[in-house]
Amino acid sequence: MTQDPLLQTYDVIVVGSGATGGWAAKQCAEAGLKVALLEAGRAVSPKEFTEHMPAYKLKYRDHSPEIVRTRPVQKQCYACMEYNYEWFVNDLENPYSTPPGKPFTWQRLRILGGRSLVWGRQSYRMSDNDFKAASRDGYGDDWPISYAELSPYYDIVEKYVGISGAAERNEMLPDGQFLPPMKMSCGEIQLRERVKAKFGHTVTIGRTAILTQNHNGRLQCHYCGPCERGCSTFSYFSSPFTTVKDAIASGNCTLITNAVVSHVDMSTESNKARGVTYVDRLTRQVKEVRGKSVILCAQALESTRILLNSSTREYPNGLANSSGALGHYLMDHVVGAGASGRLPNLNPLPNANEPARPNGIYIPRFRNTPSSKKHSQFIRGYGYQGGAEAGFNFNAEGYGTTLKRAVKEGEYSISLGAFGESLARWDNYIEIDKDLKDAWGIPALHINMSHGDNEAALMQDAGASAAEMLEAAGAKDIHVQANVEMPGMAIHELGTARMGNDPKKSVLNPFNQSHDVKNLFVMDGASFVSSACQNPTLSMMAITVRACDHMIERFRKNEI
Amino acid sequence: MKRREMLRASVLAGAAAALRPALASAQSAAQSAAQPSELTPAQSGVDASKEFEGPGWKPLFLDEHQNETLIILSDLIIPATDTPGAKEALVNRYIDLVLAAETRETQQAFLNSLGYLDSESIRRFKAAFLYLSRDDQDLLLHALAYPRNASNWTGEADANPDKGHAHFEALKGRIMMAYYSSQIGEKELGWDGAFAHGPYQGCEHPEGDHK
Repeated sequence: MTQDPLLQTYDVIVVGSGATGGWAAKQCAEAGLKVALLEAGRAVSPKEFTEHMPAYKLKYRDHSPEIVRTRPVQKQCYACMEYNYEWFVNDLENPYSTPPGKPFTWQRLRILGGRSLVWGRQSYRMSDNDFKAASRDGYGDDWPISYAELSPYYDIVEKYVGISGAAERNEMLPDGQFLPPMKMSCGEIQLRERVKAKFGHTVTIGRTAILTQNHNGRLQCHYCGPCERGCSTFSYFSSPFTTVKDAIASGNCTLITNAVVSHVDMSTESNKARGVTYVDRLTRQVKEVRGKSVILCAQALESTRILLNSSTREYPNGLANSSGALGHYLMDHVVGAGASGRLPNLNPLPNANEPARPNGIYIPRFRNTPSSKKHSQFIRGYGYQGGAEAGFNFNAEGYGTTLKRAVKEGEYSISLGAFGESLARWDNYIEIDKDLKDAWGIPALHINMSHGDNEAALMQDAGASAAEMLEAAGAKDIHVQANVEMPGMAIHELGTARMGNDPKKSVLNPFNQSHDVKNLFVMDGASFVSSACQNPTLSMMAITVRACDHMIERFRKNEI
Repeated sequence: MKRREMLRASVLAGAAAALRPALASAQSAAQSAAQPSELTPAQSGVDASKEFEGPGWKPLFLDEHQNETLIILSDLIIPATDTPGAKEALVNRYIDLVLAAETRETQQAFLNSLGYLDSESIRRFKAAFLYLSRDDQDLLLHALAYPRNASNWTGEADANPDKGHAHFEALKGRIMMAYYSSQIGEKELGWDGAFAHGPYQGCEHPEGDHK
């Protein structure tokens, strides 16, 4: 493919190069399809990684006014730092609106790899308790796919990505294809033992997309700590150095960076997509790429934004939206509850020269499970992430030599923070803000979302349960939180183009294919029917690989 | 070669080997590499650690009295012991740099806290904090440094006893952050400057016994 990339007609156009787009490009290109992979941002180089730079080399030691000025929204994410803020979108160029009193924080990266460069890496399977949740408690809709259908694709993704973790045979959290688990600290093991004894709940080491042994040509973790600044050994999974690299190596994938896709173009003769139009990020030139099929993997809200901006005479309310469901059922895990304290029986002496484990512990959901009784205050449930370790005591009282000594004497702290299921509700939706455009002239989103009573009840219970578990572990000075933070804070946006069997109620079929336009696919988190409470990226990737299998088969049979 | 150095060397050698194919593909993929304006200073490799160490340094935000007060205060909060303290770490210069870029509200909040120190000092000792003896400075800080409750007799009648503590904590927080994020502060914590220290070992105690 040496010609002008825009003069070809590709078999597949993939929009977005993050966790799901990377997989879509890899699967299609390795199957022999000609792929154009479009990324709104620039390419990324390992030369930009800053994970080994101490904070004192930063002019403002992570208090840069440039972040405040250009990333007032992005800086609400811990991973947006003075080291790497240029990876995050400039909020001044990428506006969106929210109704008064209903804030939503939207964290975005426009760069090759997208948010896979800075993600939290926690990787958990969903179970039929999630896929069939509506049948169990009567709320909402079941997924049109089952765990048995997705399980082989979890296997494929886990084996390739490399997920370290421990098998637990937990009914809510299926085991997977694990690399050796990272070790737990004394405090974490103490919590695990006592919580199991007193409550019967499972405390396990975080299942994380970080290599604990060399794997698929990548080196094992060297435990330096701050993955979100890049990794010189590529030990955590990010798409540019794995799936996207494979797609390009196949010889069948053309990467087009700086392609800010505005809309999908429809054929004038048939009910099919004929490609996408994008604005060149740097030159502002408008260009069209032609393809026999289009896969959107731009991030849940961005993919739906593209469809809403692709209205035609046949689809006046957004492309592939005969159901009217496009934009609705936006979800993001509810956060804001947990507990912290200290473990006085353990040696608090910190060591600045210990390996830094970029992972914590996980407590899978234990409310409203098949083996627990139905909770009176809420449906669904929550899981916890947390950790326990000796650290420097920067909260020490007083001043002078006693303060200086107390900091180094340290404190053994322990904490748990909950992620709760966000119920799919019609009233949580996105639409195009007719008065707002981004820096490329593309109409921006109006995001309308709030957490409801069930999410608040989950957080109330999660705060109290966390405190009980810490108490059982022997913690003192326990602080409880039971807040509901603004939606978007979990950075687990899901829904807005849900899958389902009924074309009148869903946007996509069970293979992420548009009910309305057969050569149009959405393969990212937009397709989720319910949110469960597990970190969703692993499930998104498995769903993408499954959808690609189906799509490639149909393509070969000329059915697309 | 010490164990840690060997580990580090092997990690680096391995990293370099692993980097080569990935770099090559990243470069072939890079239709548009980053423009300088699209990298943070850190991503461009800028080392700003020596920025305010020069002899001609002048504060950007604080006036001379505020700056001198901050130096004395930081030296009391984190003094030099067998290791350097906040004054040697130039925490006043870092705090001034950050404040100069802060919002007006944040700047004013800082000046209010620093001003509170002087107003208490003048009320009790008839002189600004800067001009008190070390003993009197210590007396004043001691009265502010610990949270008080109603039953705690301090010898001072104060209608709003926690206000002083809140101002103290605000100043202390900035000084702590500035000190422990400096190169001197990292050494104080014992960091050897290496970024990798072998695999995470975790708990190796027998079950139930974490002494």
